[in-house]
Amino acid sequence: MYKDERYNNLKASGMLCLCVAGEEEQQAQSKKALKKQQKEAEKAAKKAEKQAKLAAEQQEADEDDFAKDRYGICPMVQSQQKLDRALVRVQDLTPEKAEQQIWVRARIHTSRAKGKQCFLVLRHQQFTVQALLAVGDRASKQMVKFAANLTKESIIDVEAVVKKVEQKIESCSQQDVELHVERIFVISQSEARLPLQLEDAVRPEGEGDEEGRATVNQDTRLDNRVIDLRTTTSQAIFRLQSGVCQLFRDTLINKGFVEIQTPKIISAASEGGANVFTVSYFKTSAYLAQSPQLYKQMCICADFDKVFCVGPVFRAEDSNTHRHLTEFVGLDIEMAFNYHYHEVIDSITDTMVQIFKGLRDRFQTEIQMVNKQYPSEPFKFLEPTLRLEYKEAVAMLKAAGVEMGDEEDLSTPNEKLLGRLVKDKYDTDFYVLDKYPLAVRPFYTMPDPNNPKYSNSYDMFMRGEEILSGAQRVHDAQLLTERAMHHGIDLEKIKAYIDSFRYGAPPHAGGGIGLERVTMLYLGLHNVRQTSMFPRDPKRLTP
Amino acid sequence: MPMYKVKPVSPADIKIDVPSCMYKSPNVHGHGMNCGEHALQNGEVDPSLKALEERQDEVLRRLYELKATVDGFAKTVTTPDADLDASTPSPGPAESVFKGTADLDSLLGKDLGALRDIVINANPARPPLSLLVLHALLCQRYQVLSSVHVHSSVSAVPPPLLSCLGPRHIDSYARQRFQLGFTLIWKDVSELQMKFSTQSMCPIEGEANVARFLFRLLGAEPQDPAAATQMDCWIDKAVFQLSEGGSKDRAAVLRSLNAALGRSPWLLGQEFSLADIVCACFVLRAGQTTSAPVNVQRWLKSCQNLGHFDCVYPFLQ
Repeated sequence: MYKDERYNNLKASGMLCLCVAGEEEQQAQSKKALKKQQKEAEKAAKKAEKQAKLAAEQQEADEDDFAKDRYGICPMVQSQQKLDRALVRVQDLTPEKAEQQIWVRARIHTSRAKGKQCFLVLRHQQFTVQALLAVGDRASKQMVKFAANLTKESIIDVEAVVKKVEQKIESCSQQDVELHVERIFVISQSEARLPLQLEDAVRPEGEGDEEGRATVNQDTRLDNRVIDLRTTTSQAIFRLQSGVCQLFRDTLINKGFVEIQTPKIISAASEGGANVFTVSYFKTSAYLAQSPQLYKQMCICADFDKVFCVGPVFRAEDSNTHRHLTEFVGLDIEMAFNYHYHEVIDSITDTMVQIFKGLRDRFQTEIQMVNKQYPSEPFKFLEPTLRLEYKEAVAMLKAAGVEMGDEEDLSTPNEKLLGRLVKDKYDTDFYVLDKYPLAVRPFYTMPDPNNPKYSNSYDMFMRGEEILSGAQRVHDAQLLTERAMHHGIDLEKIKAYIDSFRYGAPPHAGGGIGLERVTMLYLGLHNVRQTSMFPRDPKRLTP
Repeated sequence: MPMYKVKPVSPADIKIDVPSCMYKSPNVHGHGMNCGEHALQNGEVDPSLKALEERQDEVLRRLYELKATVDGFAKTVTTPDADLDASTPSPGPAESVFKGTADLDSLLGKDLGALRDIVINANPARPPLSLLVLHALLCQRYQVLSSVHVHSSVSAVPPPLLSCLGPRHIDSYARQRFQLGFTLIWKDVSELQMKFSTQSMCPIEGEANVARFLFRLLGAEPQDPAAATQMDCWIDKAVFQLSEGGSKDRAAVLRSLNAALGRSPWLLGQEFSLADIVCACFVLRAGQTTSAPVNVQRWLKSCQNLGHFDCVYPFLQ
């Protein structure tokens, strides 16, 4: 506030009374105007100061940035030049490379600036390494500032010297070394705001609740699948799944099986009319295959003896459960046998055991990585596989207090309970249940020779959940026709199928598993969408 | 044209002194012998020769039979209480030693139409020999479906352990045809464990305890409480002193075995029992049977003669 002596004196002497109102107004106005002026003056002063500072800084920057050409954002790689530069992978950064100057391409996992230093964690797939950029004779302040301001997930090329560390860096996968950065360039910059944070995506559920930190829920993950798949857990899950497929193929090829590809656009629903997708096919409509069943059998009648196929399976089931998808990868087997369908069961169970052994022996790193976020019991199995009969299962369930009929199908809770009872007694997570009642099986299942109420069919379970349904197939055209009529199926629609058995067909049996379900149950996960890269269910069609 | 003439080397009528110790055979080169007269040229056998051969075969057969009978008697004399069918030349599975009866329903619970499966988890480093012997005895009494599995906690098991329960039964695809199931699982366990009905029974641990359970299924438990106690006493001695004790304990047990076996052919007297099975298996597993006392060695030989212990010998190396 201004202090005007004259004003105060005049007021004091009471000579202002006449023109007080007007003057006060005027003075009020001018007070305001003065205030305004003051404010503007202050603003201007500040601005001037800032500009001066900036100018000074700019000068400083231009003056002191001796490292100008050792960092920056590269122009978009449009294959402008072919550099003969070897990039070392993060997983290969070990103490053996100490003191070597190497180039690394990785993503920025985290970056943290502290005074004159910037700590970066660089990540490539499951492997992380710490990188250090400090102001010194190789790096300027501006360079460190640039590095600290880089957005997470950006892909960068870094030239650095590998240095051994005395104290292990616990938070990284490469614990014995760190990189001292000399040059840093951005190849592909990421937007600053990520839809989900990778650390949150890898945090176990319980830890999130306890410490009040965020975890990412499934829908967000699935909507931003590309980023979710970058997490170490996802990388481990899908590498293991690739291993399952690989072991399946290798084991069967070694047993003399032939891989076949069956059509997925078919003219008649293979399993039943209800759960099938219809597609328009030129002037008529066709269906998406619910299983390669019919074609596998035709291959057997065509003398291929032992076949398997890996391909998509489409089921239009409106089930929103933890274990159903509308599209999944089916691994299917069909085999001709000599005298008894147990030959086929033995072959299938041996294949499964070889897959489990292969995973146990060669994928321990991946299993441990998944267990960090989703802890579970290791998967146990017996060799040769345990085979129980349906009647035994019913007896076990009845002894445990369940009320059910002898020919009733097993409901999902009963299957789970049976799994627990079997685990209690035999300590195995994988077993076969043989001789199901005929009434609950499809029309092409061969009935039991001694008891017409039962059939030569079997289911296999992992951790109490069904993964395979199979049976000896009816290979006689007449019996097949009778069974189809008994089930009320339109014979016209399956004419081609029945015809394939009219010209000599060997006795055969088989079954099929779902790749996603097997991976989920092996790892002890709880939702099949975690093991399907881009899952499809009644509510999800993208990505 | 005259042929080449050779001067005779020797005169035709030399007198040769034929030694009398040799036998005379007719002169085939002499005159009067016609090839056609000898019917034996075409491989036919002189009937008298045939008869001779048959007699020889008969004698040899009777000799073998006699030898087998004598062998059998020898075993019977040295092995008390053994029911061997001595006239069969090949040693088939021994007849069941135990004559008692047991009701599976009362021992194991009502049959709900499902196979009653006994599950035994054993460590492949310490195969349970007495249980193998009891399995052989059970197979004689009941229709047993035996199977061997390897658990995923064990990476590999030597082949003899996979076939320790004998060859797979031809009817093994139909589980319902069997009265009893015997499932042996090789697993990484610290203590041998048996599970039967997980809802109503807790697991039984320890080879001796499982042996007691299986023995009861044979219905041959000694009825006299004194004998039963003595049997338990011998079994405990075997478990705690023979296998878990030091060399001093072992020597003490062998001495007491020797003393007991000096008085009677089997540990409990005249009857073969579980005590003999368990003690013999533990003694055999401890090794050095050749340096064991006399009675113990004789008793081990008798056990072997019974035939039930054949399954055990492959594991003693």
